[in-house]
Formats: sequence, structure tokens, C-alpha cells
Amino acid sequence: MNKVAIIGVGHTKFGKLEDKNLLDLLCDASLQAIENSNTNDKDFDAVYVSCMLAETLNHMTAIASAVVDRIGLIPAAADHVKNGPASGGSAIKNAFYSIASGACDMVLVVGAEKMTHITTPGLITSAVATLTHHNAERIHGVSLPSLAGMLTRTYMEKYNVPKEWITSIAVKNHKNGMNNPYAHFQKEITLEKALNSPIIADPLRLYDICPISDGGAAMVLCSAEVAKEFCDTPVLITGVGQATDTHIVYEREDLTVLKALQICSKQAYNMAKKTPEDIDVCEAHDAFTILEAIQSEDLGFFKKGEGAKAAYEGLTEIGGVIPINPSGGLKARGHPLGATGVAQVIELFWQLRNEAGKRQVQNAQTGITCNFGGFGNNIVSILVERK
Amino acid sequence: MSETTIIWKKCKKCGKLQHPDHLRCIQCKNTTFNIVKSSGDCKLLTYTILTAPPSEYRDKKSYAIGVVEYSNGLKAMGQITTSENLKIGMKLSPGFKKLTDNLDGQKIFGLIFKPI
Repeated sequence: MNKVAIIGVGHTKFGKLEDKNLLDLLCDASLQAIENSNTNDKDFDAVYVSCMLAETLNHMTAIASAVVDRIGLIPAAADHVKNGPASGGSAIKNAFYSIASGACDMVLVVGAEKMTHITTPGLITSAVATLTHHNAERIHGVSLPSLAGMLTRTYMEKYNVPKEWITSIAVKNHKNGMNNPYAHFQKEITLEKALNSPIIADPLRLYDICPISDGGAAMVLCSAEVAKEFCDTPVLITGVGQATDTHIVYEREDLTVLKALQICSKQAYNMAKKTPEDIDVCEAHDAFTILEAIQSEDLGFFKKGEGAKAAYEGLTEIGGVIPINPSGGLKARGHPLGATGVAQVIELFWQLRNEAGKRQVQNAQTGITCNFGGFGNNIVSILVERK
Repeated sequence: MSETTIIWKKCKKCGKLQHPDHLRCIQCKNTTFNIVKSSGDCKLLTYTILTAPPSEYRDKKSYAIGVVEYSNGLKAMGQITTSENLKIGMKLSPGFKKLTDNLDGQKIFGLIFKPI
């Protein structure tokens, strides 16, 4: 297999971007990544576009064809990759294999979502809830926050965990987001305020949940050999993994175990010949605070039941034993669904190149992501290294 | 009102108990199953009280959803008739009724559990 390098990235501001539509966000991020990678005059072999709800929220199909047309990349192969909120991770995985196999030399990955223009109450909640199992879950009025609420209650009961340990993750991520100029929220919150914010899906409160955001994120990938022509400090993708679990969440033997993450992160670790101890920085999928706690366990950083405690004790802060979400995570950076998986790897790209400014994790050499599709039923992990 | 029955299936080859939606066994890929039924009391495994419903449930300000388990291992998700005094492990009895109209105006039927 060819070695695969990331040679440049693009990242729009995340948040409520009133003057940008979905195609603007995709194209802005793409052009930034092309500029950043010095590939302005290059032909691309393939473009992978990640977006979850283009049809539902933006009434657009064929967005991959639209992107290559608008940014002058015809006749590049162009695909729209959809794997729920893990679409970005899946797009990167597809780009990785297209280069590793030798089929493509130069590939663009871009993800975006345009969400904040929707004003109908419950419509986004409903659109996202289409991820759940129709007959067993969705018809009963389940939402993603309600699945996370049930998971939070089960985790607290099983491991005797107080809510403040879990909610402390939101406080940490807001603190990190303060220093991310692209973040949706750049303000600190207190644990007290978070614990007393409005209930959304008891025991989950508003500040346990990521916002609805607009945003785009893109990267240019090529083989490590081709990368030499464009970039002195590429970041290599050395491990990728993807695995699935039961669509019906309650069919899992233990709700608090993300089997798909255990499997896909092991695939990524094995491919890269790394272990959890080798990881210097992690971008996790904290759509809900409980998810970061459990992901930090199933990625192999902490024992089962100890992820929330570890976060509360500061082990996952920048400067801690394993910094998680220095970007601010989904909670503070925001969660434009299709952009998230790409933005996670972009944060690691900056961290590994020592370009993360005030949120820099010192001497970060190796990083891993968890990009969570569905409610844990389709997860992607990407492992990157500075070489 | 007739008693609400939960129907699952059990793989004839490996014995894995599973939701009837699976066409092949989620554990061993076998395609033959025995029907397994449960009715009467069940136990609340976990629950939440939703205050931000999806638009299909736009007429409700809040409602409780839970996952239950029967003594023979069958599980189900459904709404709960009340949001008051819920507790993991409590006994519930199931019902099946119209829960809402979806955004296309179709009647949506589902499970709803009542504390005993």
C-alpha cells in the first residue's frame, strides 16, 4: 500500500453563518485546502463530499457534482459519501484507500452541513432521528438526545458516577474552544451553570449537548511520495478503521460498551502498529458529554466506567495524560454533521504540525479520532502521525 | 382490551434471541428462527424524559421513553404513560396504541408502558 499524506486543509468558521449556503461552505473550505496545499494548478483524481442532510435540509442532491463544477475540478471523479454524523470519517477513509491502492494520486475530501436556517421546532431533531431504527425506536418519538439520556442514566447507575463528572467534559471542551478561532462557541462555562441548564432528555441537559451549526472543512490528500513536491511537513494517515454495531441500540448486551469503536480503533491501531499508550492527542465525538466519557474508555485510554472520572480529574485536559478535544470538540467547535469528521482530522493535522496556537498539545506526534455514526452503530477511527 | 404481546425470534442454530427485524441471525447468519413471545409485566431497564421532541411529536411538550426487559430476555422500547416517579427496575405493563400522526398525516402506532 502507498503511504497516504495530508498536505493541506481548509476550515470555515463554524456557527450560525447566515450569508452562506451549503454549496458555499463546501466550496469555501475546498478552495482554502487547495490553496493551503499549494495544489492550485493541479488536477485531482477524486473528490469525496461528505454531508448528512443535504436532501432534507437544503433540498439538494448531486452536491459532489456541483462542487467539482464550481471549483474547476472537472473531470475528477466525485462522490457524495453518507454515513450520518460519521460521513466525514467515511469520506477520509475512502480517500485513504483510493490513494493507498494506487488508484488515485491527488484527492480532495470536503464535508459541510448547513443547518441553522431551519426554524421549524423539532425538525432537525426529527431529521437526525431518522438515523434510528424505524420500527423499534423512531416511531416511539426517540431523538438522539433521548438515546444519550438513557445511556447517561444507565452509565451513572452501573458505575455509580455522579452527573458532574460527566458534565465536566462540556466545561473542559468550552475552555479548549476559547482558543479555537473556528469554534462555534468561544466562551467558558462553569460546571454549576452547565449542571443547572434546561433539561433536554433527563438527566441530559442543554450544556451536555452539542449545538446545531453551519460549517465546512476540507483536506487535500496524496501519496507520501507525491507529497514531497508540495509540502515539507505532511501528516500521514497510518491507520483507519470502521465498524458497525446493532442498529437497535437496546439489542446490545451492554449499552455502555461501544463495540464498534473497540473494533474500529483496534483496526486503526493495528494498521499503524500503535497502541493507546502511543496516542498524544485525541479528537472524540462528544455530541453528548456521555459519549466522550465512554469513547475515552473504548479507545483504550481508560478502564470501563472510569472515563468520566478521568475527565473530571483533568486527565483529558490539554497538558493531561491524554488530551481529548483540544479543538473544543463538537460541544464548542460545533457540529455541522458532514464537516465534523473532517474537522477532527484537521485539528490533529494542526496539532501534529505544532500550529494549534494557544490550544497546542506539547510535542504531539500521534493522534486518533472517533467519528460516531448513528448512535454508535457505524463508527470510524482515523490515526495520524507526524513523520 | 386484549393483552399486548411482544414478539421476538430465537435462532434455531445458535439460540440467539433477537428483534424480529433481522432476516439473518445477527450472531451466526442462520435464516431459521422460532417465534418467542412475551406479555404481562416487564422491568424498566433505563429511561429518559424528553423535553425537546422531534416534530412528529410536536403536540407534546414532554414525554418519557424507556427500554424494558421481560424475564425471558425479550426487550422493547416504548413511551411511558407518566414522567413521574420512574425508577430503574420498576414493573410496567405494556400497551399498544396510536401515539401520534407523522408529518405526512399517517397514524403512528407504538408501545406505551404503564407503571404497575
